[in-house]
Amino acid sequence: MNEISNKSPSVMLDHVSKWYGEVIGLNDISLAIEGGVTGILGPNGAGKSTLFKILMGRLKPSQGAVRLFGIDPWKSTTPYRRIGYVSESERMYDWMTSLDFISTLARLHGMSREEAVERSKHVLNFVGLGDVYYKEIGKYSKGMRQRVKIAHALVHNPDLIILDEPLHGCDPIARTSIMNVIRELGLQGKTVLVSSHILEEIERITEQIVILNNGKLLAIGNLHAIRDLLDQHPHRILINCENPRDLAGLFIASEPVYGVRFPDKGQLEIHTNNLSAAHDVLPSLIVKSNQKITSIENPDDNLDSLIGYLIGGINHG
Amino acid sequence: MDKKGLSLKESVWSQLDRKAGAIIELTIRQLRHRLSTWVVLGVGVLIMLLLLAFYVDSVRDGFESIDNDGDSVDEDEDGYPLGQEIKYGHSDFDSSQYPGVGKYIPIGEIDDNDLLRNTSGNYSWFGQGILDPVWINMNYTGNEWDPIINWQDEINTCPEGEAFTDWVLVEYGSACVYGNGEYVFKGEFQASGSVEVPMDYYLAWGIYTDSFYVEPDPISMYIDEDDINWDDILLQSSQGFDDDGDCTRENWSEDSNWIYVDDEGEEFDNDKNGNGIICDVQWILDGDGNVIEINKDSNVDEDPIDEKFMGESSHRTFIIGVGKMAFVILLGLFLPLFLSLGLIRDETENGTLHYLLSKPIHRGEFIIYRLLGYLSVTGTYILFLSLFMGLFSSLLGPGESIIRLSDMPIWLGIGFATILVLCAYGALFNTLALISPKYGIYVCISIGVWEFVMGILTIANPNWTISAISINHWALQIIDSIVLIAWPDTLQLQQMSLAFNLETGLDIFWKPPAHTLGTSNPLVSIFISIIMLSLFTVSMLGIGQSIFKNREIM
Repeated sequence: MNEISNKSPSVMLDHVSKWYGEVIGLNDISLAIEGGVTGILGPNGAGKSTLFKILMGRLKPSQGAVRLFGIDPWKSTTPYRRIGYVSESERMYDWMTSLDFISTLARLHGMSREEAVERSKHVLNFVGLGDVYYKEIGKYSKGMRQRVKIAHALVHNPDLIILDEPLHGCDPIARTSIMNVIRELGLQGKTVLVSSHILEEIERITEQIVILNNGKLLAIGNLHAIRDLLDQHPHRILINCENPRDLAGLFIASEPVYGVRFPDKGQLEIHTNNLSAAHDVLPSLIVKSNQKITSIENPDDNLDSLIGYLIGGINHG
Repeated sequence: MDKKGLSLKESVWSQLDRKAGAIIELTIRQLRHRLSTWVVLGVGVLIMLLLLAFYVDSVRDGFESIDNDGDSVDEDEDGYPLGQEIKYGHSDFDSSQYPGVGKYIPIGEIDDNDLLRNTSGNYSWFGQGILDPVWINMNYTGNEWDPIINWQDEINTCPEGEAFTDWVLVEYGSACVYGNGEYVFKGEFQASGSVEVPMDYYLAWGIYTDSFYVEPDPISMYIDEDDINWDDILLQSSQGFDDDGDCTRENWSEDSNWIYVDDEGEEFDNDKNGNGIICDVQWILDGDGNVIEINKDSNVDEDPIDEKFMGESSHRTFIIGVGKMAFVILLGLFLPLFLSLGLIRDETENGTLHYLLSKPIHRGEFIIYRLLGYLSVTGTYILFLSLFMGLFSSLLGPGESIIRLSDMPIWLGIGFATILVLCAYGALFNTLALISPKYGIYVCISIGVWEFVMGILTIANPNWTISAISINHWALQIIDSIVLIAWPDTLQLQQMSLAFNLETGLDIFWKPPAHTLGTSNPLVSIFISIIMLSLFTVSMLGIGQSIFKNREIM
């Protein structure tokens, strides 16, 4: 059982539940993941970290079976030879340089000192920290620290990479750079699990998602497919413009729009049953109105609405 | 095994080695980055420097000769020390009694039984009666405490009536004169003449020998005046010689036997050890020729030359005392309290444990490597510190060679025993911190107090069973055993300090090892102690591992 099987999926959960006393962390989750980037989506407290901690052998499932490459991670550390893990924890050994930090941890994979240093330099270059690795981690910005954590998870060239909220608290530049790294890993054919509570972040990285809510598995599959379903349901578009009433007249006349509202001065809210169709007509109508538009927002296009819709769907179903 | 199998085995071992090396190195670097590490190590060095300073100070002062039997005093301030007064048979509490003073020899007396109530002659008289003098010694002094009649003052006229019938003299040391020149007296005096003693009264008389001058001995003569005489080869058990003659009592006057206690405050007995030889010292040896007991007769070898024994004994006492108190009990406790308690706990609290545990490394292994990291810091420190102490004290210590090489095994033994203690406490404290991260520290401190008390008890008496329920008891046993191996004559020095009242502290800090299974072989004791400490360490490690293995890490 300790031998790593190439036939087994990277990640396999079979009716896994975890409860802390009365509180349920995960509720009867079954899934298998193999290859590519998978986004684990869910609001705070949905069970993403619990799921990852179970995968990393830090927590023992209360029920069900967990297998990484066919091996139970609670009982054996063998799978970790092929896994890189980025925790949500911000804490690191701030007194170490990033090269020291990563090469020390790399040696725990059985690398020699020289090999570890060489590999560490390589991954630090890969995450874009090639010129600062002799600086102490304590002096790094939040985005740099996050990249050090990612680099540490990549140093042994793992097949499965688990990232718990890797974009949390990063500035836009760091965010973009980390997203690029994750996408690149997916393209390299590795299995990557990325958790986030922000839909837009995951959308920019991958289409393959798992949605968790209150410890339950809400949806699994392609984000676009789920979105398309969502688009067929009532949506709002909020437009900030000079003269909302003029613009409203144009929209009322168009096919996908079934209602308008003026929530505030200089604001127009459009109600539609087909978001993509509404967005299709939006540019031509704006041009026609000859007005200066300051912003267009989709207040319903977020994870909460998605989950609300999914729960509603389940309820109705 | 084929070539491939061999190389696989080698690579598994080298990988394990690399993981261990990485965690050990990380642990060392973490400890190095903590202020508390430097504080506790620094305090340890300071304590050692302080102890060395005390040692240097005591070595520079030398070992002053002291009067072990207390016979150099001159209590009555007559110029003659007690030892000289003893020789001549005088009290040191009576300044009129001193060497060379005239001695009273009794000649006759008149008491109730005598019908003849008068006598005459030139004597020293004592009692009551009527004197018809020819000559009276006006300057007679006699004994200090005696009721001597002072003839130099004016003597009163006797009252009317008849002496002893109508009136009597009340006060001792008084006299009165009749008109006919006769004296009625009560007390002591020296005179020539005839004396009448009434019925129911008592009179004694005698003579004093001539006094002669005796040169008072210098007080220094009574310090170190009866050295320990023993045959180094120890071929026979009867040793010792009464150098100052206060046991054999040759040339003593017959009636001067007023000293009833010996140098130890016990009843004087010139064959106290009961071996049939008076005034000797009995040395009892074990099968290996080690002195295991010394019994001496009263006042034999009771005032040895201190420096001869004190130098070596004090040096050994210093090493053993420092090894036991400073190394095993203090450093052995405080280093683990400060450095081992947080080995796992701190990583959990800091939220950095997952970096280490998300690697292909077993949690059980992880604990071992962490402890090894802690041991490399503390063990190296202890080793260097003990060698440093060894180097300095052996340069300063007594002996003809520049450096006392015979001390080195002891210091290494002290280092070794301390390191074993560091292992045991390290495993124990780390496990307790795992069981209860919050309250483990209090349990550790309580255990520390217990260990301290048991350590002191072990030093006082290693045979008390209760003290064996502690870690440092066994480490202290290792030191006791190594001392006996490297310095076999410590047993002899210890017995000497006990038997001859040499206050070196050696008998306080060192006792023969207790756990020899009746063989008295120190190697047995070392073996048993190492087994006990290792068993404890391994079992604590095992408990810690099994707790950690089943611990969920949030």
